[in-house]
Amino acid sequence: MEFVNRLQKSIEQHAKLNVLCINGTCYTYKDFAQQISNIRAAVINKIDDSEKLIGLVTNDDLQTYASILALWLEGKAYVPVNPEVPFERNSKVFEQTETKYVIDSSENSIYDDYEVIASKELSDTNINLVPRKIKGDDLAYILFTSGTTGLPKGVPITFDNVQALVGAIDAEPTFNLVPEDRCLQMFELTFDFSVVAYLFPLLAGSCMYTIPKGAIKYFYIFKLINEEKLTVLTMVPSIINYLRPYFGEINAPDVRYCSFGGGALHSDIAKEWSDCLPNCKIFNYYGPTEFTVYSGFYPYHKETATKAHNGIIAIGTPQKDTLYLVVNDNNEEVPIGETGELCLGGPQITPGYWKNEERNAKSFFEREENGKSIRYYKTGDLCLKDEDGDFLYVGRADFQVKIRGYRVELAEIEFHAKSKSEKKVNMVALDITNDLGNAELGLAIESEEFDTEIIFDHMKSVMPSYMIPMHVRFVKEFPHSINGKIDRKELKKHFDLT
Amino acid sequence: MSREDILSKVRTAFIAVLEHENFELSDETTANDVDGWESITHMMIITEVEKTFNIKFKLMDLMNMNNVGDLLNCIESELQA
Repeated sequence: MEFVNRLQKSIEQHAKLNVLCINGTCYTYKDFAQQISNIRAAVINKIDDSEKLIGLVTNDDLQTYASILALWLEGKAYVPVNPEVPFERNSKVFEQTETKYVIDSSENSIYDDYEVIASKELSDTNINLVPRKIKGDDLAYILFTSGTTGLPKGVPITFDNVQALVGAIDAEPTFNLVPEDRCLQMFELTFDFSVVAYLFPLLAGSCMYTIPKGAIKYFYIFKLINEEKLTVLTMVPSIINYLRPYFGEINAPDVRYCSFGGGALHSDIAKEWSDCLPNCKIFNYYGPTEFTVYSGFYPYHKETATKAHNGIIAIGTPQKDTLYLVVNDNNEEVPIGETGELCLGGPQITPGYWKNEERNAKSFFEREENGKSIRYYKTGDLCLKDEDGDFLYVGRADFQVKIRGYRVELAEIEFHAKSKSEKKVNMVALDITNDLGNAELGLAIESEEFDTEIIFDHMKSVMPSYMIPMHVRFVKEFPHSINGKIDRKELKKHFDLT
Repeated sequence: MSREDILSKVRTAFIAVLEHENFELSDETTANDVDGWESITHMMIITEVEKTFNIKFKLMDLMNMNNVGDLLNCIESELQA
């Protein structure tokens, strides 16, 4: 597997350089190689060859990153779980993947029911970064996202998928990291955007800076830009939405690249942010977890490339080997300029949702093109293609929303909110836009006021914090549209966040 | 304005954002001690506090703010400015 071989070479070649700076402490590629080798030795000793899906508790430390590499060198996949997410949800993830082994750098692991490799307690072994032979259709990772029925939905990604992503980014001449680059890695490792935030710096021998858990991330990011002189930023647009009131105080001439993804980038804020980064190329990336992070981008420039639709910056064109197709309800291509659902085809496409045939039948389809059958993934995003061949984002087709870059199914929140309520009343989860333009979650309850503590305690025990509604409103009678559906637009007016 | 008065108004701002009152605030209180106080709500609290006192914090000060004591110090110095 070419990209794994390249990771080995890069780690060996850049031994003296820093790989990661975590909460003020920097580690070299040599430190990294040692940790990878130690964890790899434990994996070889402890885990049977046939066990491929290994749990990984995503702490913010060197061992957690080293674990990913150790597993890849052994041709195994990591199944990441966030230690801040309730155990119940994480154990449902491991149940689905039938994971028996968990790599955990925590001081006291709570995964007693599993075989735990305590990665912080291993002794040093000989450094060995030579990858074994890896099959392309073996899995490199599985990420779980919000599902409509209360059960998280698994997206498996193969080594071939990751190789195709690396090939596509390599083919892009305007983005090249170098060993001197200092890169922001602000993502939780259960979030797909983290893959590009660690993979490309590692391939180039650059250094990554993480955000300590518990830090106020917006200000910590600014601190890193300001004090560590970061050169490469990879982030979700909500970060700059929150920093916007302070743009006047930000001037970061060292930043060379700023890549956005995981949410709509608005024109007005892109322009203002661009003014804070006088020497920077801005990329507006698009891509779902199901298509291995990125599928394409638009090269934004505040003067020369500002294409937008309803104030949202274009998502541009597909990258190397990726096909974009805009379809109607019958999966037929629509003409240029017409809105339809964006579908993605090519080597980065996931083999399909984990053990979820019902969902797979809905989300993927085959299409004949030039005598070949191409498999497409339906993104649920509404887009249109313009005369220049650029794609423009229009909106979501379903009740999935983005909260701080995380995909959230509103139905999952409603499911958990209702499940523990003594009062059997209607509840609707809504995404509300606050005065900074960010989406926050609200819960509307069709009832006289009552104490919601039990409901919230339950939701906090089964869902990550970004899925917990921040605002509750009691509405005596929900507004309905003429066809009898709850009028969500009208209901949102009960949440005045401006 | 006395430090107690400032603290009392800060508490009101916290309650407005977090939509609950189950917390005590002292100089040493950090985000780890208060349910719901994290990155997003912190930004909302800051905005609320700025509105309450009719002040505007500097990014440099916000960057090094680690507990409620730091917040009160910043408010005091902004009020004196």
